[in-house]
Amino acid sequence: MLATPCAPVGEIDERARHLGRDLVDTMRGSGHSVGVAAPQIGVSLRAFCIDVSGHPKARSCHGELVLFDPVVLEAEHRDVGREGCMSVPDLTGDVARATRLVVRGLDLDGEERTLELDAFEARAAQHELDHLDGLLFLDRVVADDRVFRRRVYR
Amino acid sequence: MPHVAVTALGADRPGIVAAVTGVLMRHGGNLEDTAMTNLGGHFAMMLIVDVPTAETAEVLEAALVAEVGVLGLTVAVRPIAEVDTDDEAGATSWALSLYGADKPGIVHHVAQLLADHGANIVDLSTRVVGAGPDHSYVLLLELDLPTDADVDRLRIELAALAADMGVEAHLRADDADVL
Repeated sequence: MLATPCAPVGEIDERARHLGRDLVDTMRGSGHSVGVAAPQIGVSLRAFCIDVSGHPKARSCHGELVLFDPVVLEAEHRDVGREGCMSVPDLTGDVARATRLVVRGLDLDGEERTLELDAFEARAAQHELDHLDGLLFLDRVVADDRVFRRRVYR
Repeated sequence: MPHVAVTALGADRPGIVAAVTGVLMRHGGNLEDTAMTNLGGHFAMMLIVDVPTAETAEVLEAALVAEVGVLGLTVAVRPIAEVDTDDEAGATSWALSLYGADKPGIVHHVAQLLADHGANIVDLSTRVVGAGPDHSYVLLLELDLPTDADVDRLRIELAALAADMGVEAHLRADDADVL
């Protein structure tokens, strides 16, 4: 599932809104997560939620954001940062991401929204967008020796 | 199943990984954590391997020597004790980078300073950059610090050490974000 590109959501009906609420609930339930993509909860559809509120590395912040069928319109500059993922326990890796991103998608009301994200919010969105294309941060690490074990060897 | 540590080193050439891991696989071994890299033209392999109880380190080593000796590898297999699965709870992760003109003792002096502060080095690599008498040295290391470590003091002492050695050193928090 995590390695498979997801299908479009299409119309934002009650089923899609339910998925959106599940994504937010999962993100809130994990405590330390700032984003969840649909394939992470077993749904192979193009949807994710992020919320970088209060994160020290955030500049732009749209609060709790659920996007369906998101498309990247612009991506600028690149910066390396260390990422982990709820779906890849114990490992983190250094990943280069655009520091400014313009993304268009549908919100929970089915309204088309075009958003400009930067800094940590842009990183979080790109991490989730990758999930929709079947990519993990492991597929993006800048070099194979830039993957580290979060904990000591068991 | 018991674990063994396999180390192999030899002049780099195609086929080393395939040959070594082939022998391990045919003896029922399952690779766990491994690190393999080219060090100055030599290919170095370190592997933690889960092996069937019936396979001893001696037998595996003999098999490797017999089958991959033609590649010019120096091979050793040793049994290893199970390690406590301590999560290093409470430790914080840091990255240290250092670069400058090469001279003997850089790694030792940095490692000693870190040890004096209770740091645990979890990953370390160095590269010689350039050739000739003016070549440079790059040190990258990952370390865990106890939560009660005095990071400000460590920074001051690291800066003083770097100045003494005529190199640049930087310590930064390695705070990965779970997305």
